[in-house]
Amino acid sequence: MIERVDANLVTEFEKFGKSNWNDCFHCGNCTGACPLTEQHFLFPRKSYNEIQMGLKDSLASSIEPWLCYYCGDCSEKCPRDANPAETMMILRRYLTSVYDWTGLSKKFYTSHWWEYIAILFIGAIVTLLLGVINPNGIVTELNSNGGVKINEMFPVHWVHIGDTIMALTIGILLVSNLFRMWYFVILRDKSVKIPISAYIKGVKELAIHFATQKRFNKCDDKKYWGAHWILMTAYSTMLVIIIFFLPWFQTEDINAWYHPQRLFGYYATFGLFLGLIYFFIGRIKKERQMFKYSHLSDWLFIILLFLSTLTGILLHIFRLSGLAAETYYMYIIHMAILVPMLVIEVPFSKWSHLAYRPFTVYFSLLKKSALIKKNTKN
Amino acid sequence: MNRNNMPEKRTAIYFIDTTNENNYDIIDNSEIISYVQNKQLVAEIWRSGDIAMKDSEKMAGIIKNKNIQRIVIAGDSPGIHKSFFARAMKLAGNMAEDVVLAGFREHNIIKSSDIDFAKAIVYCAINNVDYIKATQPTTSSVNPETLIIGGGIAGVQASLEIADAGNKVYLVERTATIGGYMATFDKTFPTLDCAACILTPKMGEVGQHANIDMMTYSEVKNISGTPGNYKATILKKAKFVNPYTCIGCGTCSEKCPVKVKSEFDSGTTMRKSVYIPFPQAVPNKYVIDADTCTYILKQKCGVCAKVCPVPDCINYEEKDEEIEITVGNIIVATGYKPFDAARDERYGYGKYPNVLTSLEFERMVNASGSTGGNIYFRTQDKKGNWLLQPDGENPKSVALIHCVGSRDENFNKYCSKVCCMYSLKLAHLIVEKLPNTKVYEYYIDIRAFGKGYEEFYKRIDEEGVNIIRGRTAKVDEKDGKLHLRGEDIIGGNLIEQEIDMVVLAVGLEARDDAKKLADMLGISQSDDGWFVEADYISDPTATLNGGISIAGVCQGPKDIPDTVAQASATASRVIQSIMQGKINNNRKDISLSDIEQNILKLS
Repeated sequence: MIERVDANLVTEFEKFGKSNWNDCFHCGNCTGACPLTEQHFLFPRKSYNEIQMGLKDSLASSIEPWLCYYCGDCSEKCPRDANPAETMMILRRYLTSVYDWTGLSKKFYTSHWWEYIAILFIGAIVTLLLGVINPNGIVTELNSNGGVKINEMFPVHWVHIGDTIMALTIGILLVSNLFRMWYFVILRDKSVKIPISAYIKGVKELAIHFATQKRFNKCDDKKYWGAHWILMTAYSTMLVIIIFFLPWFQTEDINAWYHPQRLFGYYATFGLFLGLIYFFIGRIKKERQMFKYSHLSDWLFIILLFLSTLTGILLHIFRLSGLAAETYYMYIIHMAILVPMLVIEVPFSKWSHLAYRPFTVYFSLLKKSALIKKNTKN
Repeated sequence: MNRNNMPEKRTAIYFIDTTNENNYDIIDNSEIISYVQNKQLVAEIWRSGDIAMKDSEKMAGIIKNKNIQRIVIAGDSPGIHKSFFARAMKLAGNMAEDVVLAGFREHNIIKSSDIDFAKAIVYCAINNVDYIKATQPTTSSVNPETLIIGGGIAGVQASLEIADAGNKVYLVERTATIGGYMATFDKTFPTLDCAACILTPKMGEVGQHANIDMMTYSEVKNISGTPGNYKATILKKAKFVNPYTCIGCGTCSEKCPVKVKSEFDSGTTMRKSVYIPFPQAVPNKYVIDADTCTYILKQKCGVCAKVCPVPDCINYEEKDEEIEITVGNIIVATGYKPFDAARDERYGYGKYPNVLTSLEFERMVNASGSTGGNIYFRTQDKKGNWLLQPDGENPKSVALIHCVGSRDENFNKYCSKVCCMYSLKLAHLIVEKLPNTKVYEYYIDIRAFGKGYEEFYKRIDEEGVNIIRGRTAKVDEKDGKLHLRGEDIIGGNLIEQEIDMVVLAVGLEARDDAKKLADMLGISQSDDGWFVEADYISDPTATLNGGISIAGVCQGPKDIPDTVAQASATASRVIQSIMQGKINNNRKDISLSDIEQNILKLS
């Protein structure tokens, strides 16, 4: 295959994060030190070659960066201090922007202002919808349990319609980006042909990886996998509840503490907090390789999530203790943080990895079995 | 001023300030600034705090604004900042070559008393004149005797050349024999000549030369005086065996009950407490190792004195002795130490017995070495020491890993220059001795830079050695077998290999006491610890101090042919000064005003 060299790739790359691409002298130490690298998917060194040579198309179709879970073993012993682990991280940002056909991802990753203004803009729309256009104001009257009548202030079916529209938008964007990833990684690579039966067979692995992120466990530090898994399950629980079961969740009645509605809610809150504290401390202390360099997108990711959780908790307390006005305003603040976070992070920024990571494992398994089959035929 | 018809360049000086919390006696940059600020060409003076070393585009803007055409970086290790300023200069439309370094520590400028030297270095940099050219030292008369420190191949070669020209030489060697590391090698690359066949005749000649006073088991303690007239104090360590009466029969060593690891064999065999390093040692006289001899330590044993056939040859009461000599010239040929492979934990050296360093392996393939030239696994002796012993099994596969401790930001950044070639040589020796053993070379780049070297590389490649690009990342042991993991870069494969034996191509490092010697002689060391030459290209064996030359690896990693060439070069420098009867004085002693005038003359 003839590939065009893009001499400006490095300059473009620098916008996604700082690293010294030219320092690598290709000794292969990083690949050998990596616990996750395997035959057919060698990384991180190969990506350095593509960056240094300006092989834009090869980069776009490489899934290796997504197979890396940033344990940092490669960076620790790199003889050139080229920091391959961080390069993999920067590549993941770059690839997210490559998959995204709207071009917004690139804007958010490379410009602080774009990111801030987008958050404020969507937050403003949410405030407008809930606080100004919404005909219902603060309802001070309490229900029989002494709780706030939240559904009279923000009718749940309207909110549900709104969040379904949001979820559909995000979902369509994410799926279309995922489709582009599939196009770059599998379809454009003419060296392998993958039968449909293989796709079906691989679904089980896809589901397992989506639910457990078990690749993480090949890295040495198990604590990190634990913290991430708790955060992920807590977050997913909340996401499923608010997108599919909002009418069941946003109720006026105060249920007993053992009611599943409250138990799920508490698990999610607890998990989010625990996970977030771990990440906050890690990013501040910078002891582990993966926390040493924090991009704006890394910070926004945990700060917004933290604020959403915090406002969610306050909302819950205010509602239970019958503080009507406080509940009203907290609801608006909660939504004005939550909605922009989801809209920006899930399809365009760091949270897209929830789809790219498991699908990478899926694609890599498909490719690997095809390559092995091809090699044995030859 | 209009030098070489070039327009004079507006110069900015960037001073690297060092924090001095402990109030050491260091150079005060403000004193240099008050000296240079009114000089011609000097347009801007910056200090460490003034410039943020981050944004080279911003820096380029400053350079353009102030119309700067040359930048001088002054201070300790200025090279660190060069790339930043060079990039900014390029961005501003100037030449990167106009970033000139004025290194302080690199010229041994350390204390406040070196301030004039520092001023001179900065002034030369402002005018972009080499310090060497701007300084023309005066001369003194010369004492025709020469001191050579270090008895390796460099010291041996230089001694012979000077002595053959009819001059007296004192050769001081720390160990019990001359010969150095070359005496431990089996073959030399690229000709595959036997190292001992080249070296031992020379060693014998040194031992018998009427003009050479060879002092083995001795160290230089102190040096004072001026060029042409140095006084050196030599510590002659007690040998406890009278070298004049010892007949070298070896009975003492045979009966000695104390066993220690042999330094000469890189710790792969045991020697006795009374020993000669190797059978062809020069002088071929035994010495008693005072650190391990039980009689000297605890007054127990005394067997060697009883069995010695020569009366009164062994004298346990002998004391260290200091002598003083006066010499005109000094040649420093102190060599190197091999990188300690245990520092690089990746390869498990010291943990797994069959991970060897190249020097250990060298002793094994050497026909007069640990195993008599056979390649065996390392085995334990009765006391549990892992040794290379003359019986055992042959490995079925051997991997040689290049660049251990070299070209690595975690250890030494430089290339040790010899490891590629000696690894190829070792590969050849394995193939020659064990034709059925698979040999793998894992390299980053093959640096076959010399005459006949590329051909040698090609020859080894054709011999069936698997030469694989990609330095291994780690060596582990699973179920008693070594496992090696790395990337085959050209083949695009992940290497997970079971291997019988691993040989680490350790790099070269400056000796631990190089700093002590440098201070004693007043010469400088580079960041890596190598001694600094007067001029890297045009005067690579002289130093800034008159009468002191450097030869061999102590100046920087190099192979045997280069070392011999440098040794001869230093010898010719010494002979020249003896024949002229005069010697250059220290450049540092030239006054600032003289240097300024010299620079004016050069313009």
